[in-house]
Amino acid sequence: MKARRLTLSQRRQLAGVVFALPALALVIGLIAIPIGQAVYYSFTQWDGITTTWIGTSTWTQAFHNSDLWTALKNNAMLLLWVPIALGLPLAIAVLLHQRVAGWKIFRSIYFLPTAISWVVLGLVAERFFAYQGTLNSILHAVGLSGVTTNMLGSESTALAALGITFVFTMIGTNTMLFLTGLATLDPSLEEAARIDGAGRWRIFRHITLPHLSRFIQLAFVMTVIALFSALFSLIFVMTGGGPGYATTTMEFLIYQTGFSQGQFGTAALYGIILFLITGAVGIIQLRLIGSDK
Amino acid sequence: MAAITFDGVTKIYAGKPAVDSLSLHIDDGEFMVLVGPSGCGKTTALRMLAGLEEITSGALSIGDQVVNNVLPKDRDVAMVFQNYALYPHMSVAQNMGFALKIRGESKAMIAEKVRAAAEILRLSDYLDRRPRALSGGQRQRVAMGRAIVRSPQAFLMDEPLSNLDAKLRVEMRLEIARIQRLLGVATLYVTHDQVEAMTMGDRVAVMRDGHLQQVATPQELYDRPANDFVAGFIGSPPMNLLTTRVSHGADVTLDILGQTISVPTRYAAAFSLPASGEVTFGIRPEDIVIATEGLRARVERCEALGAETLLHLSVNGPGASQHLVAKTGPRTSIVAGDDLSVTFALEHAHFFDVASGATLRAAS
Ligand SMILES: Nc1ncnc2c1ncn2[C@@H]1O[C@H](COP(=O)(O)OP(=O)(O)O)[C@@H](O)[C@H]1O
Ligand SMILES: [Mg+2]
Repeated sequence: MKARRLTLSQRRQLAGVVFALPALALVIGLIAIPIGQAVYYSFTQWDGITTTWIGTSTWTQAFHNSDLWTALKNNAMLLLWVPIALGLPLAIAVLLHQRVAGWKIFRSIYFLPTAISWVVLGLVAERFFAYQGTLNSILHAVGLSGVTTNMLGSESTALAALGITFVFTMIGTNTMLFLTGLATLDPSLEEAARIDGAGRWRIFRHITLPHLSRFIQLAFVMTVIALFSALFSLIFVMTGGGPGYATTTMEFLIYQTGFSQGQFGTAALYGIILFLITGAVGIIQLRLIGSDK
Repeated sequence: MAAITFDGVTKIYAGKPAVDSLSLHIDDGEFMVLVGPSGCGKTTALRMLAGLEEITSGALSIGDQVVNNVLPKDRDVAMVFQNYALYPHMSVAQNMGFALKIRGESKAMIAEKVRAAAEILRLSDYLDRRPRALSGGQRQRVAMGRAIVRSPQAFLMDEPLSNLDAKLRVEMRLEIARIQRLLGVATLYVTHDQVEAMTMGDRVAVMRDGHLQQVATPQELYDRPANDFVAGFIGSPPMNLLTTRVSHGADVTLDILGQTISVPTRYAAAFSLPASGEVTFGIRPEDIVIATEGLRARVERCEALGAETLLHLSVNGPGASQHLVAKTGPRTSIVAGDDLSVTFALEHAHFFDVASGATLRAAS
């Protein structure tokens, strides 16, 4: 007997499902299952060998733990660097896009950090900010020998040093992203605006910026997610989370709680909190991008 | 509103002139069409007027001010781009009001001017839409609207109709001409389409390879082309250009591949023909008449256009042939392969120098 003929749209849907299956398997295997496990571990005490179900006590205790609040506060403080991590690359991209002399060389220079491991960048930054580091040498060289900094050594400034380093590591990616965005801007729009009487600033404000809005949103999401989930290597080589807890972020706290203190249940819980925060940022942004349609 | 003057304006790209000492005056309120084949420098000329392209040499004035070094934003001209260049993230109303907003006009004033322009352009129902939600014709009208709300010194248009389908193009041709007359703003309109040039322009400037060939009214251009290029560019189908050998007797005799045409002296006197040698004989398709006697030609192809029929003819001689197109009435019984004879309405004939292409019209 002949098989029932599928309609065109049914076939299309079937093809969609078939093609999505491998990706779905990866998502379940690599993301959904570990998240489920993390949730499970957060209700247990796990010393690496045996798991003991202890219910919600980890959850209630965690929120009374001042380390968690310090880490959350540090993350929040680092968020203040995000506008700079976007604004600086935006300015660089706009300048490079005007084809300033030597723009190709500058483009390579700005992109270079992207190709370097964050561990190496962290080491370079550590040498830069250290008491006997490059920054102080420069200050001395320009005659400011009275001003000696020790940004990494002081609780009040270590986080700022980390923020500056973070901005530096994000410049390459974000500049490239904005340059790509600018390359898709129809040059006749700018010409039309010039003829309509707009000067440089108005063209940027009314033509370039709206055109780049999606690229800025994307860069924002990527930067915030990097801030929450990619600073570990920088912190590890620059400050080790200190002095005190001054540069301990959620991410670093998870590592410390789990691997230094052996409290894997609590670490799993912190992981879930971090996951929820980054997830929320992503979803809010996707909503914003989607609502533009 | 102001007149526009190109005075020996030249633009050189990489050592090659794209526009070569262009001198052209556009009166206040005049609709000037700049026409020529692709790559002849029309866009370059327009962009120099807009201030988007630097002028290599010469002087360009708007009104009595030389604007060579004036920024586009200070020239007070409006331009309609070939791709319209509408601001994609702005509504139709915002697109049209952008220049006024930059100029610092009040919200109420802008709204009123946009409303008035939208009325002229029949866009009133679309003011809140984004450009991507409009049809090609509507976008074209928004681009026009953006130009007219400003009441600028001049309108510049670069092939504004080339992205429209044929029917819409005919419609917008009339529309743009109507609006320009309504507003009376000096307009430089660039096109490669000689039909647009003929139907829209008060005067038409024909360009070729960066050089201005002739500036005249459409009828003048058609009746008295300055050279064989203009003759061959204007008109559809264009003027036939035949290479002939001239000799003088009682009448002037033209030899075309062994066949002869006599041109009565009363017609030939309008031209300063050489005593002998080759001249280019020009005759428009509608000035060719099928007759029982005359120049013998073979029909190569018949194009029935409905209201008229185009006959592609070849005049054959020993080892050579020349091609010409004749226009006849509809529903003809002539078919490809027929041999026939044609005569010419010689009072409408043209003669051009073979070497320079210049018309041989006698000084009057
Ligand atoms: N930016 C440019 N750089 C170099 N050559 C150009 C540039 N713009 C135009 N040209 C050249 O100038 C000539 C005239 O171009 P254009 O004014 O665009 O012609 P049109 O508009 O009549 O088709 C062409 O040969 C073109 O290749
Ligand atoms: Mg052009």
